[in-house]
Amino acid sequence: MDAVKSYSKFIKKNMERPEKVKKLINLGLFIAYHYVKFFRDKRLPESFHFLNKYSIKCVIDSLNQPQNSAWVNIFAPSEFLIAMDIKPLFIEAYSSFMSGFFIEDCLIDAAESKGISNTLCSYHKTFLGASELGILEKPRFMITTSIACDANIPTFRYLSKKFGVPLCIIDVPYKYSKEAVSYVKKQLQELAAKLEEAFKRKLDLDKLREIVKTENKTRALMREYLNYVGKKTLQTTMTFEMYMLFASHVFIGSKETLKFYEMLVSDIKKAPEKSGKSVFFVHILPMFETNFKQYFNFGEKYHIAGSDINFDFLHEIDENDPFLGIAERLILTSLNGGIDRRVSRIRELLEYIKPDGIIQFCHLGCKQSMGGAFVIKKLASEMGIPFLCLDGDCVDKRNNQEGQNRTRLEAFLEML
Amino acid sequence: MFGGGIILVGYVCKYTPVEIIEAFGETPVKLEPDSKSYEQAEALIHSNICSFAKGILENIIDNHIEEVVLTSCCDSIKRLYDVLKERVKFIYLLDLPRKKDPMAVDLFYGEIKEFIDAYKAYIKRDFSKEILAKILENKAIKGKRMDSESIAILGARLKEDVVEKIKNSCAEKIINLTCTGEERIFDVKPEGDILKNYAESLLNLTPCMRMADDRNDLVNKKFKGIIYNTIKFCDYYAYEYAELKDKVDIPLLKIETDYTDSGSGQILTRVDAFLESTGIKKIEKTKAKSGYFAGIDSGSTSANVVIIDENKNIISYSIVPTGPKAVESARQAFELALKSAGLKEEDIKAAVATGYGRVSIPFAQKTVTEITCHGKGAFFIDSTVRTVIDIGGQDSKVIRLDDSGNVVDFVMNDKCSAGTGRFLEVMARTLGVSIEEMGKVVEKVKEDITITSMCTVFAESEVISLIAQNKDQRDIIHALNKAVASKAVSLVERIKGKGKYMMTGGVAKNKGVVTAIEKRLGEKILIPPEPQIIGALGAALIALEGK
Repeated sequence: MDAVKSYSKFIKKNMERPEKVKKLINLGLFIAYHYVKFFRDKRLPESFHFLNKYSIKCVIDSLNQPQNSAWVNIFAPSEFLIAMDIKPLFIEAYSSFMSGFFIEDCLIDAAESKGISNTLCSYHKTFLGASELGILEKPRFMITTSIACDANIPTFRYLSKKFGVPLCIIDVPYKYSKEAVSYVKKQLQELAAKLEEAFKRKLDLDKLREIVKTENKTRALMREYLNYVGKKTLQTTMTFEMYMLFASHVFIGSKETLKFYEMLVSDIKKAPEKSGKSVFFVHILPMFETNFKQYFNFGEKYHIAGSDINFDFLHEIDENDPFLGIAERLILTSLNGGIDRRVSRIRELLEYIKPDGIIQFCHLGCKQSMGGAFVIKKLASEMGIPFLCLDGDCVDKRNNQEGQNRTRLEAFLEML
Repeated sequence: MFGGGIILVGYVCKYTPVEIIEAFGETPVKLEPDSKSYEQAEALIHSNICSFAKGILENIIDNHIEEVVLTSCCDSIKRLYDVLKERVKFIYLLDLPRKKDPMAVDLFYGEIKEFIDAYKAYIKRDFSKEILAKILENKAIKGKRMDSESIAILGARLKEDVVEKIKNSCAEKIINLTCTGEERIFDVKPEGDILKNYAESLLNLTPCMRMADDRNDLVNKKFKGIIYNTIKFCDYYAYEYAELKDKVDIPLLKIETDYTDSGSGQILTRVDAFLESTGIKKIEKTKAKSGYFAGIDSGSTSANVVIIDENKNIISYSIVPTGPKAVESARQAFELALKSAGLKEEDIKAAVATGYGRVSIPFAQKTVTEITCHGKGAFFIDSTVRTVIDIGGQDSKVIRLDDSGNVVDFVMNDKCSAGTGRFLEVMARTLGVSIEEMGKVVEKVKEDITITSMCTVFAESEVISLIAQNKDQRDIIHALNKAVASKAVSLVERIKGKGKYMMTGGVAKNKGVVTAIEKRLGEKILIPPEPQIIGALGAALIALEGK
């Protein structure tokens, strides 16, 4: 830990020399990758060890090949990128790594002093700050959707203007209808054309179909995994639950993601029967919050029993017409549309998992999620599951009142 | 339903098909929260969502509004819909596309048709396209829409009464181009389906920040000045402000509002100072007269008065803590200064009032904002000063001056005591030491602690935990001084302040904070002999010269 803090101090000292900071960040990621590769945590199941390496590698690949990379947000239809061998960098992942390197405060301050709102989501502020400080190499393309978060479009538009890089905005309607699907499908066709133009290569439709097939197989494994989550105890941490976003979203459709879920299902089958108390998380997990880390990382008494964000879409999509299939998926994700849709997905997951408690960590700046907290609390009370709503920040550690959180978290765990 | 018995249909977003509601013979009303608190709203929805959405919720409950039409305009409004769904008689959310191509128009057209069906079923009345056509005819584009000679209010919606106050505070033409300020004028094609054409013209209104189109047409217009508004917890518009700040060469002022009443005084101070500093509002220049001149700074913590003679010599000054009535404290300070100068009220040829209480000082002939006065006073003390850092009891500001001492830019803290004198007072109380003691700590003793919370309330609980951890009190104080310094430095950075720096206001007497700021800036800060009277001095100088 101290080594990371010294590394962070050193980066901060050099903030005015962006070229050096870029190199230091790349070096940090390189070391992290090799450390994970050679010093595997024995408690960790095979699947998470694989995911750990894969996730870091995905970030390294996109940073190392900016001209073959596209900046995206977590809900972007990256099947097209995988099919065209373009490396996506999703801004939420980059910001999490920067928080892991303990430099998020510097980046956030840079964004705020530029005039960016201080109540904006810190995943966005960290990324914007990094671009302000010149420590990000510009990519060749950017894609964002309007799903779940107001900040997506303005953040990407700001970045696109700043770097002079083409941006494709996919406007995903809030309500599902045949017309809405056609509207998104047409935008996806435009996206494919823009990608072909920007990267000067053709999209192979058969390859895209293959990716969608892999995606369907992956989701079948997700559903299978859900059958065991309530009965078994798989040792994990807050960080790995968040790493799963690489697999459940941006890199779904890749062979590696399929492999991860195959390994995950096999790991959970082998895992011991459930013991202790399990807690289901709504939305995202505060992986840098000390109290949560202490109680849930490889916890013996308390276990993480999944998060709804990793299961926001569980159906099969059209393999013959991938444009149509992906369009439907984008509209029907449980994070799009009214709170009812999300509530029914959470209810479905709770029925599978039967956790002992539910925690919603309201990430500061995420209005769509915190705005629904009281509705989800109502669901929890109908189902007779204890519910805790805590406020804080998953990236900017300065916004976490750890002393207060500790009392609330401990009191809640005592309740279970 | 409001008291009068007329049924009102509440709406918030400019893309709402208001004219359809009118065609039904109903009265659409743009909801404008006017609540003093969010007590009822926060029982139903999380307190960290946008203050506008909370205000709307409070408003709907208070006024028993039974019909509400919303759009999917932002995350907070979407969740507001979810919360209101079972609480009002009729509520509808129209899915609003972010694009305006033919497919988007078709989608929105479909949404409007479904809305008409839903409302028809609810009020059991028919809808007539002919009536809609007439309404739209009356709202057709006529004449010029924008005026380059105006000062534009851009950004997020701003309360009507604040817009009115701004309009009344200056002689300039102010146009409201905030997201809902725009006039509802349409260019609906006469041929074909009127509903579809109406949907298209709605989508073609000046795009707000949630739309996919950029707003270059709007922001690239030449205005005399721009007042840019953002709403607390609404993050959309800050992006545009960040872009404009470095791009436009016209005067730009950023204000932040939160839809409660308490902020309008502070906003008007900023607008006034902005108009003064950019020369849009002229301060009348009067010929220097012989005799004595007074400056009265009626602040939140103290009332300060400076009396100068015609040769700009400081004859006397006074500092009196502000009591419950600002005017009385100012009067007391004025009399004290007169007494120590050996003068009578009639010896004062002119007096200028500044500070929060400036408008209610009866013995001053003119009022000027504290921003202009601090700039003036600081430059008078030392003409090499280019940045003034003023940290008072309840606000902090940074003012940038040009080579002639004119204010070229300024920034103030936003309705928050973090980084102000009050912050230090609260912490001194928590630690059980005097404010003077706190000022003496300039170095860490054992450990370099950092207070991470910027909020006074949370920082207080952080301090309590540090006390519980048995940390050295001096290290905690050092950390608090650093926290205030960091807030001040971030304000300096926001307006790209440069040396020489002068610090004014009560906190300038705190060596600990001054040292911490100096460390962060890497430069010595000039502290005037009596930092609390610089605003009053500036006011006295303006009384003498008129500028």
